[in-house]
Amino acid sequence: MTRAAEAPSRRPAAAGRRWGPRHVVAAGLGVLGILAIVGLRAVTAESGDAPLPDAAQDLITLATSVIIESLPFIVLGIALSILVQVWIPETWLMRILPRNPWGRRAVISLFGMFLPVCECGNVPLARGLVRKGFTVPESMVFLLAAPILNPVTILTTHAAFGFDDGILVARLLGGFLIANVLGWLFSQHPDPESLLTDRFAEECRVDEAAVTRSRGGQTLDLFVRETSILMPALVIGAVVAGAIQVAVPRDVLVALGSDPLFSVLAMMVLAFVISVCSNVDAFFILPFASTFLPGSIVTFLVFGPIIDIKMLALMRTTYSTRTLVQVTVVVGLLSAALGLVVNYVA
Amino acid sequence: MWRSVQTWRGIALIGTISAVALWLAASGQLVLYIHPRYVLFTVAMAIVALVLVVAAIAARAVVQRRDALQRPPGSVDLLAAHDGQGHDHAEPHDHDPLPRRRERALGLTAAGVAGLFVLGMVLLPPATLSTATAEQREINATAADVQALDEAQNADAAAVARFTVREWAGILRQTSDLGFFADKPVTDLVGFVSPDADDPENVFYVSRFSITCCAVDAQPLGVPVHLPGWQEQFPVDSWVSVSGEFVSNPSAQSLQPIVIEPSGVEAVEQPREPYLF
Repeated sequence: MTRAAEAPSRRPAAAGRRWGPRHVVAAGLGVLGILAIVGLRAVTAESGDAPLPDAAQDLITLATSVIIESLPFIVLGIALSILVQVWIPETWLMRILPRNPWGRRAVISLFGMFLPVCECGNVPLARGLVRKGFTVPESMVFLLAAPILNPVTILTTHAAFGFDDGILVARLLGGFLIANVLGWLFSQHPDPESLLTDRFAEECRVDEAAVTRSRGGQTLDLFVRETSILMPALVIGAVVAGAIQVAVPRDVLVALGSDPLFSVLAMMVLAFVISVCSNVDAFFILPFASTFLPGSIVTFLVFGPIIDIKMLALMRTTYSTRTLVQVTVVVGLLSAALGLVVNYVA
Repeated sequence: MWRSVQTWRGIALIGTISAVALWLAASGQLVLYIHPRYVLFTVAMAIVALVLVVAAIAARAVVQRRDALQRPPGSVDLLAAHDGQGHDHAEPHDHDPLPRRRERALGLTAAGVAGLFVLGMVLLPPATLSTATAEQREINATAADVQALDEAQNADAAAVARFTVREWAGILRQTSDLGFFADKPVTDLVGFVSPDADDPENVFYVSRFSITCCAVDAQPLGVPVHLPGWQEQFPVDSWVSVSGEFVSNPSAQSLQPIVIEPSGVEAVEQPREPYLF
């Protein structure tokens, strides 16, 4: 493997290269490829409706809709992640953080206020933070809190519910508390790195010995790597979410809506299945507000942004299955408890 | 093959999806999938993605070519392991075991499934949700638009004539007082045909999906129409425009207290924005 060892020394030279004719040709081919896809799409659209059964067609429409809706957030998330990893000096982020672990996690759970990306975009960002030297539990705090404690989500939740029934306040406090409790729980883990998938942990170790490449080169490398890992997960998560929606009648869930306990559970199942972004889930659930108790709505609004089919598929790129099962159980129990408290108290 | 799949799958997927999204936006069909307020954001981010895709292709293609040229023949496999910094094993380094066979198979399958679906996004014509989903989600389960009734009370004839399925469905959910509907005829109410589960022979719904974010959260809304033998003229899922008056439901099986007694039902083209936002 001597060749591998000498590779890094050659990289900077390659990275420092100027753009030559070969780049232009490759870029031209890329543009042609994109135009070919658009052309093909335009031609096939004329071919009339596909001879598919309604359910299959709806599955495709639903999954496509999840993908198209998540696409801009994923792109924004990857862009911010690259910004944090490549363009922002390391000291900036570390300097503003308190030393004490509870304080650190509390501040990290408020990062979403400055990085208003919905949860699918937060996965690449959390990956970037881990590479940047955040501990694994800290990355989870960010992942869990940011989709709820961010300006867009707060605005839309307020637009949907105002301050009625304490839904907004319970959502914000609940999200903050659950993220911090979970972060504390995992910080007790003897070997936090084992919470990651082997592959991602390896990637992080590699990054510590990162080769000095030009920032432009690093940006493109990260873009290729992040899309390569996140895009298949997103598509598969969307297809599974679409399939389950076509298969499970929604009125089964709604029928459970008025019982204080079952309505909480029904809302968790609904949130899990529907996989809708935290920025807009308040509007989605608003029509159900008349059938369901307020605590159950809170459960939906706290559980849904963190745990759903699409998110599990995305988070699996980073955390091990075992970790995700633990996270799901803990978040599920905490958000159910929160919902029950609101149901019985309010 | 594993290496190039790992390197290129993300670029290929995000590039194709972004290209499709841009085409959908250009042809005005992006609203089949998402709420109009996200169209601009989606278009902007798809363009950013495509710019990065092209730049990455350019940078990557040259790196690969250079590496291939600089290395002696016999070591091609090893080289392949090193040249894609974008893949999971990142930059070249020593402690880089080839991924285990099972993991590799899983990765290939995932890329294959995702690739197949995205190919479907390119080849299959865009479509709206159908009655299959409307039945799955129970029509009007959530049509509680509290304002609709107040507004309808004070609305003049012109405003009533502009009511969509959303307004009527909201009103019907809150009142079954026929007097309320006395001077409020239905004019050219557009929607797709969806059978009433309780009396599919005689009653159908003029239906629309209402969307708050994307097609995933589509809620079916519908206004019942009493028209015995409607199936012979209007297939399920076809679009119609209905005019008529509200009357108490003549059908014994249907659970709807009030239905439209149509004075005219016409088949129409699917509107450009099939969903209500």
